[in-house]
Amino acid sequence: MGEPGTPNTRHAARDSLFEASAFERSTDTVDGRAFAWRRQALVIAAVLGCLAVFVLARWLAAAPHLGGEWLAGPGGALVLQEPARTGSGRQLTVLAIGQRGEMPVAVDALLLHRWPRWQVDGQLRARQLQQHEALAQMLARGEGRVLLHLADGTLREASVVARGYAGLGWMFWPLIGLALLMYLFAVVLVLSRPQPRNTLFVVMTLCQAGNLVFIALESAHGLGLPAGTLASDLPMRATLDLCTAAAAVHAFALRPEGVAGMPNFPRVALLAWAVLPLWWLAVALSDTLAGALPLWWLAQGSCLALGATGLAVAQRSQRLHPDAHGLLLRRMATAALATLALVTLAVALAAGAGGAGPAVAAAAAATWYLFLASLLLLTPFLARRRLLLREFALLAGVSTIVTSLDLLFIAVFSLSAFTSLAVAVFIGLGLYAAARQWTLQHLIGTSVLSTERTFDQLYRAARELQAHPQRYPQVLAQLMRELFDPLEVQAVDRVPVRARVLGGGSALVLSMRHSNDDTGVAAAPSRALVLRHAQRGQRLFTLDDARLADRVVDQLRRAVAYDAAVERGRLEERQRIAQDLHDDIGARLLTLMYQAQTREMEDYIRHTLQDLKTLTRGLAVAEHRLSHAAGEWKADLTQRLNVAQATLDWVFQVDHDRRLTVVQWSALTRVLRELVSNALYHGHATQVEVNFRLDGLLLRLQVTDDGEGRAPETWAHGLGLGGVRKRVKLLGGEVAWSENQPRGIVCTVRVPDFPARR
Amino acid sequence: MAVKVLILEDNPVARSFLCRVVRESFSDAITITEAGDLETARRHISLTGGSQGLHGVDPFKLIMVDLELPDGSGMELLAELTHYPGTKIVTTLYSDDDHLFPALQCGADGYLLKEDRFEVLVEELQKIVRGQPPLSPAIARRLLTHFRPGGGDSLAPDSGFMATPFTTSRPVPIEKVLDHERLTPRESEVLTYLSKGFTIKEIASLMGIKWFTVNDHIKSIYKKLNVSSRAEAAVLASKQGLV
Repeated sequence: MGEPGTPNTRHAARDSLFEASAFERSTDTVDGRAFAWRRQALVIAAVLGCLAVFVLARWLAAAPHLGGEWLAGPGGALVLQEPARTGSGRQLTVLAIGQRGEMPVAVDALLLHRWPRWQVDGQLRARQLQQHEALAQMLARGEGRVLLHLADGTLREASVVARGYAGLGWMFWPLIGLALLMYLFAVVLVLSRPQPRNTLFVVMTLCQAGNLVFIALESAHGLGLPAGTLASDLPMRATLDLCTAAAAVHAFALRPEGVAGMPNFPRVALLAWAVLPLWWLAVALSDTLAGALPLWWLAQGSCLALGATGLAVAQRSQRLHPDAHGLLLRRMATAALATLALVTLAVALAAGAGGAGPAVAAAAAATWYLFLASLLLLTPFLARRRLLLREFALLAGVSTIVTSLDLLFIAVFSLSAFTSLAVAVFIGLGLYAAARQWTLQHLIGTSVLSTERTFDQLYRAARELQAHPQRYPQVLAQLMRELFDPLEVQAVDRVPVRARVLGGGSALVLSMRHSNDDTGVAAAPSRALVLRHAQRGQRLFTLDDARLADRVVDQLRRAVAYDAAVERGRLEERQRIAQDLHDDIGARLLTLMYQAQTREMEDYIRHTLQDLKTLTRGLAVAEHRLSHAAGEWKADLTQRLNVAQATLDWVFQVDHDRRLTVVQWSALTRVLRELVSNALYHGHATQVEVNFRLDGLLLRLQVTDDGEGRAPETWAHGLGLGGVRKRVKLLGGEVAWSENQPRGIVCTVRVPDFPARR
Repeated sequence: MAVKVLILEDNPVARSFLCRVVRESFSDAITITEAGDLETARRHISLTGGSQGLHGVDPFKLIMVDLELPDGSGMELLAELTHYPGTKIVTTLYSDDDHLFPALQCGADGYLLKEDRFEVLVEELQKIVRGQPPLSPAIARRLLTHFRPGGGDSLAPDSGFMATPFTTSRPVPIEKVLDHERLTPRESEVLTYLSKGFTIKEIASLMGIKWFTVNDHIKSIYKKLNVSSRAEAAVLASKQGLV
């Protein structure tokens, strides 16, 4: 049932296969053993993950550090805030840190910056790393105390202690928890659906989990991190980011899966992955060239370029093969890429501006990572609920705006971090409220309209089904097409119990099972309808849609069953009346006929009896096909004419067969009988010609005889002719008698509008 | 020896009318036994050798049965008399196939419509006895459906305008249809013409055969109908463990 005229008609066959297999997959029940195995694997993976987190936390907690409240002072100096309750509450500017008898290491506020990955300036990053590494080595020597060289020339001792679990900082546990969640999510995904596309998605998720682990480690309280942590920060985290981007490009290149004739862009995917070794080469070169390469720009540029490539690929495949799921993914990727571009721009600007810029830039980058992580976590569920999708899209958009505004305020207007954040959040909330209002109005408006239309369509479908119960599959398919406007509607030979959403919302399968009563639909071979890609591939099917489809099918079924029951009741009632009439009146008329004194009386009663039989048959029979009626008319007239030793010329021309209403059938039957009787008994004809033509709506019936009748305008219209007039008038036509040449009468009945049975 | 005739009819006026028809129809000496209800008829039949028509006893040569009787339907008697040797004719007011078709399946050799004129009835009766049973278009249509492979009795046949209604795309049953239940193509053709209201003479000229050949086809269809209904009954009986 692929609609002709859509560009993907040529893929229809393969599409059907794809959908059939998707359907198959979802109806397959995973057998118990495979399920148990997967559950065990999941438990083991979860235990391992928790163990890793614990080991990491313990390692960081055991690492020595310099406690206290460290701040960035004016001019980029490092400041130690003395606690107010034990000390003087002074702010001590620390110039260098050293140990007794050794050359002290000069320090400044760079020690507070934990993210070499987001350090724009290569020189600064090199200094930052050098300070961190020197401090780490000093602390690792384990002498228990260090000397702080203060700005006023005095020395001050500070004790070096293990950080302990309390010193991990308040951000550590939520971040590591999120990382663990993403890891478990990836494991579940791999175990439930081991497919290439899912593997790519898992790679993305794991990379971002790694990123979160780094952020968690670097959020630790106090000065001093284990040696090597920060040194590996830039190469590792950039690798993770690039890995994510490359996997995204690869995944987009694979979409849509399993559709023939789609270019699968393997070269693009290969190029994307080739960025990774290039990045490692750049890092190695940079080490030998002592920070001469702009590594941050390289990393950001590569990420943005990969993102743009992925979008281009997605755009192309979407153009070739519209698909709601692909569209949604593309929109989300666009949002992520735009945020990344904004964050990159803002961080670059902020680095140029100096001051508190870098710290806030790091915060912005952290927000971006959290945004990306939640995006990844939500992706598989987006197809489920439209509401969730809407809210998430809104939130993501607004947080993007807030972040970028925040950074821009700081960078361009040199506002303080707090002020800019407050202003940005304020503006963001306003935007959110406005956008939400607009979206809701928009949605409510369309849904009211569509409810009205749905009702209208449902009503029309029910009416049509009442008239043509055998058209149930077509009517249902048409109705679904109008409701959901899918790219493809297709019937498959399966019997799903209820409607269900498949392929992450790209397809909807609904039962076409009809009530198994005697409406004649039982022979329909197809039992399920598959709709693919709602609204021409612009929208995903949701569970609400499946429920709606179920209800529509139910309503339709009920309407048809009700109509059928009413029709059956009517027929039974008519049959009962017919039976009574026939049995009682018929038997009495028969007796009367046998006892008739004269021939005329006998014929009169016979006519009455035959009229009664016509009447009762019209009541008792559900449908009269014109072809069947014609056969009976011909046989009846032939027999009557044979008895009177006359011949019948029968011409019957009809464009197509149709069903007659009871009124049409009985009127035509009696008109024909009456006209032939007149020709026989009044005209004493020896030849009667009946010419019946039905062309479209125009019915022409001509009865010609060669009898003695003449001058029809002088006839007295008794019971017979009056009856003919009355019945023709009932059909909405006219009747006329004229003289036939050389002898006899022509009676012409003309019904201009002889409708088929509704 | 006189030909024995049984007329089963509850209405005395109609009964005497039918007696006149029978006497008018045949030149032989005729003994008419009249019965007003099923019970009387059964008694008369058992006096002449029972429903199987025992050998050596002089059975009724002609039995006319009304369908509507005070103590039941004439169809019951027809069903009992499946193996009775005489000619069985249904006399009825009901010309619709719902009433006539089961009667023919029960083994009736023909039917007379009681409201027909005297001379029509005489002619029809002679035809039946001579072996020219009538078939109305409705009955012919019903027969076509009955013999259609896989077609049940309940389904109305397709439009009579179809060029060849007897070749059909209906699903064919897996079980092999027995030969005696099938119509030959010629028989199907005859039935199709009959269902369109053609007379036997017209059919003969349309098919390019003699009218008595058409008549043979009709007789053969009648026979097959009885055979198939008996086969159906046998299958039903064996399924229910009666045999």
